[in-house]
Amino acid sequence: MASIADTAAAPSWYARIPLAWWITGLVLLFMPAFAGEFVLYQIFGWTFILGMIALSLMFLAGYGGMVSLAQMSIAGFAGYMVAIFGDSAITDISQGWPWYVTIPLALVLAVLFATVTGWLAVRTEGIYTIMITLAIASAFFYFTRQNYTIFNGFSGFNGVLPPQLFGVDWRHPVAFYYLTLFWAAFWFLATLYVSRAPMGLALQGVRDNPRRMAALGYNVTAHRVAAYAVAALPAGIGGILLTWQSAQISPGTAGIGPAIDILVIAVIGGLRHPAGAFIGAFVYVILKTFALDILVVLGFDGERFNLLVGLGFLAVVFWSSDGILGLWSRWRTSWGRDRLRFPGRRTP
Amino acid sequence: MIALVERHPWRAAVVTVAVAILLFLIFAIWPAWLVGLIGRKKVFLNALFNGITLGGLYFLVASGFTLIFGLMRNVNLAHGSLYLLGGYIGYGVAEWTGYWLFAFPVAFIVVGAIGILMQVVVFRKMEGEELRQTLVTIGLSIVLADLLLWGFGGDFFNIAAPSWLSGPMETFFVTGVKRSTGDLIFLKYPLVRIVIFAASVVVGVAMWLMLNRTRVGMLIRAGVDDRDMLSATGARIQLVFAGVFALGAGLAGIAGVVGGTFQSIAPGEDIRFLLASLVVVIVGGMGSITGAALGALIIGIAEQFGSVYFPTYAVVLTFLIMVLVLAFRPRGLLGQA
Amino acid sequence: MRTPGSFSDRLTATGTANALELRGLSRSFGALVALEDVSLTLRPGERRAVLGSNGAGKTTLFNCITGDHAPSAGSIRFFGEDITGFPTHERIRRGLRRTYQISLLFTDLSVRDNVYIACRGVLRSRFSALRPGRNETVMASTEALVRLVHLETVIDTRVSELAYGEQRQLELAMALAGAPRLLLLDEPAAGLSPTERGELVEILAALPDHLGFVIIEHDMDVALRVAGFVTMLHNGRIFREGTPSEIENDPDVQALYLGGPDG
Repeated sequence: MASIADTAAAPSWYARIPLAWWITGLVLLFMPAFAGEFVLYQIFGWTFILGMIALSLMFLAGYGGMVSLAQMSIAGFAGYMVAIFGDSAITDISQGWPWYVTIPLALVLAVLFATVTGWLAVRTEGIYTIMITLAIASAFFYFTRQNYTIFNGFSGFNGVLPPQLFGVDWRHPVAFYYLTLFWAAFWFLATLYVSRAPMGLALQGVRDNPRRMAALGYNVTAHRVAAYAVAALPAGIGGILLTWQSAQISPGTAGIGPAIDILVIAVIGGLRHPAGAFIGAFVYVILKTFALDILVVLGFDGERFNLLVGLGFLAVVFWSSDGILGLWSRWRTSWGRDRLRFPGRRTP
Repeated sequence: MIALVERHPWRAAVVTVAVAILLFLIFAIWPAWLVGLIGRKKVFLNALFNGITLGGLYFLVASGFTLIFGLMRNVNLAHGSLYLLGGYIGYGVAEWTGYWLFAFPVAFIVVGAIGILMQVVVFRKMEGEELRQTLVTIGLSIVLADLLLWGFGGDFFNIAAPSWLSGPMETFFVTGVKRSTGDLIFLKYPLVRIVIFAASVVVGVAMWLMLNRTRVGMLIRAGVDDRDMLSATGARIQLVFAGVFALGAGLAGIAGVVGGTFQSIAPGEDIRFLLASLVVVIVGGMGSITGAALGALIIGIAEQFGSVYFPTYAVVLTFLIMVLVLAFRPRGLLGQA
Repeated sequence: MRTPGSFSDRLTATGTANALELRGLSRSFGALVALEDVSLTLRPGERRAVLGSNGAGKTTLFNCITGDHAPSAGSIRFFGEDITGFPTHERIRRGLRRTYQISLLFTDLSVRDNVYIACRGVLRSRFSALRPGRNETVMASTEALVRLVHLETVIDTRVSELAYGEQRQLELAMALAGAPRLLLLDEPAAGLSPTERGELVEILAALPDHLGFVIIEHDMDVALRVAGFVTMLHNGRIFREGTPSEIENDPDVQALYLGGPDG
């Protein structure tokens, strides 16, 4: 956990940011100058989107100790809402409302959905959460698959496009890259910021010691539910962007497989720091995109992608409970260099 | 019983009326207005029996899941994969030897052995780390699912029941009256389903007896109630853990054979039965065998009635029940508060 | 149904009402009766010691007052307001505070952050997603509390690196956050060295006069120095009540407690 003293005793905020962050930021900012459209749109666009959804899980699990498998459903729900209230090829259902109504409405409804999910999930503690949220995620999947009047059943919605705002085609690779980069960076920084604000500190307190927090005047249940509500925002925006990226949303988008993928992403990256969500997403996207080629080179059937992901996931969980970030910081420590300043572990 | 009625007169009255209506629906010859209202009695009875027998299958899967969870706080999300594996093994054995009955012990032993392996090699190393154990089971389920897909492909497999079990059996339940002769028509129901349901009742009773009447059972129950107590008794706790894991996994294996006979075995069934176990255990109460039986019955019947009377939302109905239970009894119907 | 914290409740809560009023409080765990028919009245500003051997029901008494356990029978009034059915956080927001025997501190956080969380807990802005500014009042009161318990030299140290005695002092600082009206101190001196005990007595004696407390203490010396009145529990019931000297000289108490093997 970071300290609020960081804020109180800050010399200059930019001097405290490690060099690695500066380099990463600059490379990402100028990426379109040297990367192709496929890399921008498919690799990084997708990484940022999945990273945001995984970030919402990281916020709940890392700071709140609540491992929710329902975050992908919340993302999918927001995507569906945009398709239903906005434009899609399914004109019978889509309302065609303007974007400045549909997007806020989708996010508000996603927050509501997350609040109800949270209220159900926090009634029990610990490992029960994972079971209940998995059950909720599958309920959402089956419901969207069966319901034709609102969710258009098995086929879902296609032709869901972003608005032509400022005369920009936001599905153009460069524009889409900057759009997703902006939101990813925004939620990354926002999560870092909130983790040291009263809300985040109290959430971490509730994780470590709920009884104590109640004895300090905190309403533990309300705080947990509030965390679910807040975490719905990055997930919801991620879900809307995901829908725009493939121009469609269907039950499969937020199925049980994708829900577990989000957990895999967050765990592979590391649950202790917001950066983990994006690192995990990057690894996942690279694997998903190139696994076929890698497997063929290694002499395997290209269809064994899941085997590769499963084994990789097992290896990470087995060797490091902190994911790649944990491995990285361990490696740095063993080389005796400066350690990354992860909130939660090694702040002075 | 009398005391119960005195304490909750209203609740007792509602239960009595519900039981009376149910008995009427099952045994009476339906009058025409009732048939007009909810359809033919045969459909109703079939749905009811299908629900009860499906509940038996769910119980077989979920009882192992809830036992492992109750004792070790290990949410075994690879439980569905063990079910699927049991089904494939059962199919292989039944095809190869020609003996359907032979599939059960083999599936139990092989899948149970895999359960022991998981406990000894993996979970013993991360005792008390619930989240990490759960993550490992997710990884295992991904790997197992892909290995099974690799080995058996995406086809449906159906385990054929032996000839002495195939075909329908006439029961003593009346579905209607023949208009021409006035004879009663009796319900015909697949014999194999009845036998398998009876077998799952036997398994359930055996588990209950083991838990409540034997020393090992006492140990396990003590461990479910209070984990510290288990180490305090000086029992060889690791042996108990491995045994429970073997039993739970083995039951999933047997359930796989049953499921392969009832329905069929194919990729995706692992997730379906994992979810069924989750919902059953959440509804019934986590860590409780009786709760698993109750939950399995409720979910099985709800699913079948749902698919007959409101086909579009059949699956959603089971989740609706789960949400209702969570809202009012977060620890399940028979879970300890 | 009573609405917690309605205006009229607040009105009766001020003025001449007793700080704490327990009526017939009982609590059993299964067949074990931990607390039986305990009635106790505390005037505002009064300082009371609760004595008793292990298992006499002292900590259960505190758990019932703070709402960790629901009492099996009886009522609890806090400054005139019936708080028997309130959740813990509602009681805390009314000015009730407690310390814990087993430390429930946030060991990964610094001293400052621990006290800061405690100060925020009773504020409306505890949900705030905005970070505190450098001269925010909560920060100032945090630092004041840290000074009060003499921990200013280790204010930015992680709690896990503190000495045991310092952790107990921090525990006290967290209980003093906000606007406490009554403290429940659960064996604050346990495990402290004689010097540290002296310091603790000093800190307790220096608390403002209007702030009363109930202190559970094994060390008679500490208990009798800070408290003006003593309640003695035995097997979950009230055994004796009186001034420190009355209790010390009571033959029954001496037989039961002072003359006991652990003296």
